[in-house]
Amino acid sequence: MSALLEIEDLNVTFNTRYGAVTALDSVSLHVNAGETLGVVGESGCGKSITALSVMGLIPSPPGRIAGGSIRLNGEELTTASPARMRAIRGAEAAMIFQEPMTSLNPVFTVGAQIAEAIMLHQKVGADQAMRAAVALLDRVGIPSPDARARDYPHQLSGGMRQRVMIAMAVSCRPKMLIADEPTTALDVTVQAQIFDLLNEIQRDFGAAIVLITHDMGAIAEMADRVAVMYAGRVIEGATADDVLDHPQHPYARGLIDCIPNIAKGDAALREIPGVVPPLHLLGAGCAFAARCAHANNRCHTEKPKLAAHGHHPAACHAVQEGRI
Amino acid sequence: MTASFFIRRIAYGLLLMLGVVILNFLLIRLAPGDPAVVIAGEMGGIDAQMLAAIRADYGLDKPLPTQLWIYLSNVVQGNLGESFFFNQPVATLISARIGPTILLVLTAQVLSIVIGMFLGVIAARKPNGPLSGFVSVFATIGYAVPVFWTGIMLVILFASVFPIFPVEGMRSVRLRDAGPIAQFFDVAHHLVLPAFTLAIIYLAQYARLSRASMMDVLGSDYIRTARAKGATEQSVLFKHALRNAALPILTVAGLQFGNLISGALLVETVFNWPGMGRLAFDSILRRNYPTVLGVLFFAAAMVVAANILTDLSYRWADPRLRGRE
Amino acid sequence: MTEPTVPEPYVAESPGREAWRMYSRNRTALFGLGLLFVILAITFYGSFFYAGDAYDIVWAPHEPPMVTPEFPLGTDYLGRDIVTGMLKGGGPTMAVGAAAALITMVIGVSLGALAGFYGGWIDTALMRFTEFFQVLPALLFAMVLVTLFSPSLWTIAFAIGVVSWPQTARLTRAEFMKIKELEYVTAARAIGAKNTRIIWKVILPNAAPPLIVSAALTIGVAILFEAGLSFLGLGDPNVMSWGLMIGANRDQLLDAWWPVTFPGLAIFLTVLAVSLVGDGLNDAFNPKLRER
Ligand SMILES: Nc1ncnc2c1ncn2[C@@H]1O[C@H](COP(=O)(O)OP(=O)(O)OP(=O)(O)O)[C@@H](O)[C@H]1O
Ligand SMILES: [Mg+2]
Repeated sequence: MSALLEIEDLNVTFNTRYGAVTALDSVSLHVNAGETLGVVGESGCGKSITALSVMGLIPSPPGRIAGGSIRLNGEELTTASPARMRAIRGAEAAMIFQEPMTSLNPVFTVGAQIAEAIMLHQKVGADQAMRAAVALLDRVGIPSPDARARDYPHQLSGGMRQRVMIAMAVSCRPKMLIADEPTTALDVTVQAQIFDLLNEIQRDFGAAIVLITHDMGAIAEMADRVAVMYAGRVIEGATADDVLDHPQHPYARGLIDCIPNIAKGDAALREIPGVVPPLHLLGAGCAFAARCAHANNRCHTEKPKLAAHGHHPAACHAVQEGRI
Repeated sequence: MTASFFIRRIAYGLLLMLGVVILNFLLIRLAPGDPAVVIAGEMGGIDAQMLAAIRADYGLDKPLPTQLWIYLSNVVQGNLGESFFFNQPVATLISARIGPTILLVLTAQVLSIVIGMFLGVIAARKPNGPLSGFVSVFATIGYAVPVFWTGIMLVILFASVFPIFPVEGMRSVRLRDAGPIAQFFDVAHHLVLPAFTLAIIYLAQYARLSRASMMDVLGSDYIRTARAKGATEQSVLFKHALRNAALPILTVAGLQFGNLISGALLVETVFNWPGMGRLAFDSILRRNYPTVLGVLFFAAAMVVAANILTDLSYRWADPRLRGRE
Repeated sequence: MTEPTVPEPYVAESPGREAWRMYSRNRTALFGLGLLFVILAITFYGSFFYAGDAYDIVWAPHEPPMVTPEFPLGTDYLGRDIVTGMLKGGGPTMAVGAAAALITMVIGVSLGALAGFYGGWIDTALMRFTEFFQVLPALLFAMVLVTLFSPSLWTIAFAIGVVSWPQTARLTRAEFMKIKELEYVTAARAIGAKNTRIIWKVILPNAAPPLIVSAALTIGVAILFEAGLSFLGLGDPNVMSWGLMIGANRDQLLDAWWPVTFPGLAIFLTVLAVSLVGDGLNDAFNPKLRER
């Protein structure tokens, strides 16, 4: 069976003043219909760029898909026409962004912004679209949706705005929903509500979700499978249980060791010493080598491949050589 | 709340106008020489009888506060004094001239905003493209050219090289008795050069400004959201981005209105446009202060009105300013 | 957290040199500076060393340019030499422009600094005052002032200054409000510096870059103002200036294009040079803007 979304060897480069840098380096991922894939990794490791590639929204210039393939339902997206991509965006694949405060247009009512999404993909009149928008606001748990639909974004709280974003994203019942750190900007209590809402939406609408997050607790709760990214590469991928219980890559171990207690659900990512190297300084070896306690000469000179060894696939020489 | 905002805004505008009246009063008193002579102005032809009449009219023998009071109550009653040269009340004189000035200024304002924003929006799509280069060169040049000189160059060009637009006045004599439609086109035809001359500086500025503001807006999160729902490029540019990018233009256009009137003064002189600027120029040459100060008063009133309109349209365009009800 | 350290020096070591380094990399700005030097040099020569008198009638009226070798730019409607007018006319224009810009800056910076620094009712009162001045169309107001107080280079410079300060005041106020919240100002207060000292020695130097840029642009605007006033015949009648040349020859412009064209070109190039320098300074002080 082929997956709903298949990303294969995706390369994305950016032109910067340091020359062309590789933001995504042979990223491969797949998402099955109806499941949730968690994508984790430190800031700047390419999670958002991966998501934007799927949506065809890489800012270009300076960005560019330099190679690889993205297939949604078997349809190749990297070569799709702009018109076809517009038809897909919002209808078959939708996205929720990190910043609910700035992701809605300040000069239009939230109802109008949802209705617009509906009218872009369905042949319905303005009135009918507005009624559908109100129904969606109701569905995402916004009280007195009729009145709220006439509100402007600045009149709503962050949590409410993120609900509006979700309503907009699911308005055309997409099969693929990408949520890029949907709760990072919100209060902890609101975060839990948004995750609950995403779960419900997934159950009702049968959408597959890619959940990009720093929150390992959310991964434990929501994700079926997990992909761990580091410096533009996927370095470990398996079921959520496997990754959480038996992390392989030293970076993944670091991430998981930092979690105080997953069961309590208040897990937050703590820091691993060191920082992700800037893209233009990436060398020939493993990007994590400088921060890794297990690095040897080979790690500094040769990029490890994502290969199954032992428990599940991880891109690490030390794991593959059985040193850890 | 909009109503109360409107009322507060108008009240403040009236206060500013009161300030202008007091300033006018002070200017005449501060000018060197006998205020009666200053008011009578116009070199020659001042006799003792006329001066005595002016002294009585303005209460110049009374204490200053009384004089101010007399002056104020005259203005409130629409009496801005007499122009002895034209032998007409200043208010009448100006009211015949204010229409052409408003026509010229508003046309220039609309032209510069519409064309400037259009150029800026197109240029913003390709920040390093040729149009972007043109817009910034054009803006730099437009800023540095004296507006009256642009007008003169256009007069030379269109009077002798391409005589397709009239270079003088507002109406053709031969169409004085024509029907309203012919008159309308006649005025529009005469308006082309003065309006473009005046618009060109601001057009260049608005093009540069809207390019910058558009580039800013195009990088914002809500534009990405609009794209993510599958909006077309036109809709992204002209619906989602433009409305936001237009806000700073609106602010600047409001602030520039006074400068636009200053520019109109020069342009009217160059093209013999029968407006207030032309009147002010003629009156200043004749040292006819009541008329000049009357023009200053009306021009300030136009700026105040424009500011109120800008504020209102800003609140209309940006819901964040409207507040919750 | 860190303990309260002594803040950065009030004036960094060599911001001037750094700005110059940025400036000298900007070709348009260097062009502007070069152009400005050329114009200043010509004007200086014309004002102090060139013997001719711009008012002298030296030849037949309306001699076209490039015909008689002695009068390469031709003569005007009275038969006055245009080259002489160009050489003599720049000095007053630039002197008035510079003096007016100075007056503008002095009024604008003082009022803006007071409003921004003290805030409260002082700010409210000064800003109302500023708004009042912004209601008056500047050129018209300047015309009134110049005629009421009889035109001379000083009244013109003064009138232009009186009508143009509000923008400078607003800019200064905004800068002061921003800077007075910064750490080193708080530190200066903490060591007991007096308000006047804080305004002059602490905040003003740090607000200097945008004010310098605005001063450059103000000179350009003032030159345009002076040109406009003399064009209208409201300049000092005893002093030849570029604007006056255009105004005087305006009625015959269809008979002779050259007496109105060359002085206008000179005004344009001067203002262009000044504004290119201003833009260049702006970029040099805000290098980040240029990475776009
Ligand atoms: N417009 C751009 N120009 C140059 N480089 C870019 C651009 N956008 C992203 N990048 C680079 O791509 C890399 C990946 O960025 P991305 O936004 O995907 O990170 P992320 O994993 O989503 O981080 P975060 O958790 O902070 O959202 C970053 O290192 C960044 O430097
Ligand atoms: Mg991201």
